[in-house]
Amino acid sequence: MFLKVESHKIRNFNNLFKQLRISCAREHSTNSDIPTVTTEFAPRKLLFESKYLKPRQVWLESLDTIDERKLGILELHPTVFGANPRIDIIHQNVRWQTLYRYVSFAHTKLRFEVRGGGKKPWPQKGLGRARHGSIRSPLFKGGGVVHGPRSPTPHFFMLPFYTRLHGLTSTLSVKFAQDDLHIVDSLELPSDEPQYITELVKSRLWGPSVLFVDCSDIMPRNITAATDSIKHFNLMPYYGLNVYSMLKHDTLVLTRAALDIIEEKILNNFHRHDPSFLKKFKVNQV
Amino acid sequence: MSGSKEKALNLLRYLPRISLTNIRDNPGAKMARKRGRAQHGGDKHGDGNKGSGQRQNFMRLGYETGNNPFYLRFPKEPYYKGHHLKRQYPPLSLLELQKLVDLNRIDPTKPVDLVAIINSGMYKMSVDQHHFGVNLTDEGFEIFEAKINLEVQWASEPVIAAIEKAGGVVTTAYYDPHSLQAIVNTKKFFERGIPIPRRMMPPADAIEFYSSAANRGYLADPEEISKERFALAQKYGYLLKRIEDDPDYEMLIQRKDPRQIFFGLNPGWIVNLKDKVILKPTDEELLEYYAS
Repeated sequence: MFLKVESHKIRNFNNLFKQLRISCAREHSTNSDIPTVTTEFAPRKLLFESKYLKPRQVWLESLDTIDERKLGILELHPTVFGANPRIDIIHQNVRWQTLYRYVSFAHTKLRFEVRGGGKKPWPQKGLGRARHGSIRSPLFKGGGVVHGPRSPTPHFFMLPFYTRLHGLTSTLSVKFAQDDLHIVDSLELPSDEPQYITELVKSRLWGPSVLFVDCSDIMPRNITAATDSIKHFNLMPYYGLNVYSMLKHDTLVLTRAALDIIEEKILNNFHRHDPSFLKKFKVNQV
Repeated sequence: MSGSKEKALNLLRYLPRISLTNIRDNPGAKMARKRGRAQHGGDKHGDGNKGSGQRQNFMRLGYETGNNPFYLRFPKEPYYKGHHLKRQYPPLSLLELQKLVDLNRIDPTKPVDLVAIINSGMYKMSVDQHHFGVNLTDEGFEIFEAKINLEVQWASEPVIAAIEKAGGVVTTAYYDPHSLQAIVNTKKFFERGIPIPRRMMPPADAIEFYSSAANRGYLADPEEISKERFALAQKYGYLLKRIEDDPDYEMLIQRKDPRQIFFGLNPGWIVNLKDKVILKPTDEELLEYYAS
């Protein structure tokens, strides 16, 4: 098995889902074995169902043919996929994901760090010139810099927990509202040719860039091999799901198992009431 | 909220795809930080700009330039004398208790004590501020309907009546500060790896309260309590349900030992969270010390 995931910027979900490791049962089919058409499928059971908000509906699709083949309709939880599309929260999440790992190496020297400047350049009095004690004073060209950038400057900070959570629901809702979210039964492909997945994406008007999210970090062989050479098709386990990657890719494809697990985790975090987990994040604490 | 949300989601269908390049924060959400040109950011160290703020001498509050100040001129009335020694009981209303039960933050099928109330996350107390537990107040007594076996630290007569009318039982029990320290953060206490202390008897000025059957004190005679339950039902005019006939009889008669802090755990035991074992003392001397 190969693993091709977008490993950067996955902190978002890692934090959320630290404890969770759920293996999902998947039938690994061989190349020649085309999955059979399943006419019956279990409807989804929504957690924390709302009295007032109606569930959203989405087609369940399959990747086993190039043309779109719909297997049925699934219900999505309105808190996760019909959330208020807060562009500002999405922006804050993207900004955080870019900044927390960014260290600025811009550097300037102070007057004592610049070479030379020990000697008084000219006598204090008698020349009619301004008094100076060092040619490396900040007033001099080639002198030290006051309040300049100093290296390394880390820009690490933690976004509040619920801002991260709302970032995920906002982005998922935006993707869903803009028809950029697709649910498939599994990531099994009948072929490991890059051509197949390229044509599939083209015929369904997805993309051009597509992010495939599954419930496990060991992806089926065919999709791994097919997308390996295509840089704008990326695979990701559910715990890597994050705002930045969702926005970076035009289309988001979730497997049904990934959808279940993502929805469950987000809803559980919205409904938890143990106060201790919201302690302020501290740097340099074990 | 819901209307605007639907509108926004609907609008998104006709707008260009949201991507990394077309998102922004709300206008005015971020303030640009200016670099002040001095050691403390070029400020005035809290004194304002020139004038009286920087140059005048403001005397301390109440100081009258040498006169005998007003606040010292008369003999004082010691309203707060000894306040630092008094026991405080932060209130919890019956309404809030009912809410905790309704929201599944408290399990009414088990005896509810201070540990359960604190673990609900909706009641805060701190031992170093002389908090000694829950004062259950009567707000919401008319809608209280949870049948629970409750143990609080202070309860008034109407509160006791409301709980017993609903078919429950209530006990008032005293915990000394050392026991409370174990209760307020159970996990932290067990992580310390010290034996569960034995609960101390109430101090002299509280022993009367906790021995009184009218207050449902934990040191009162059970027969007296039984009489008082009946008397209270007569006074408030409700039909007292017989606990003996209740399907939850076993749960309703559970009480802690006067020396016990946690249900199911005796004083002297050590709870090892890491290995998930309970260590019990075997030494004769220890057993005698921790015996009730």
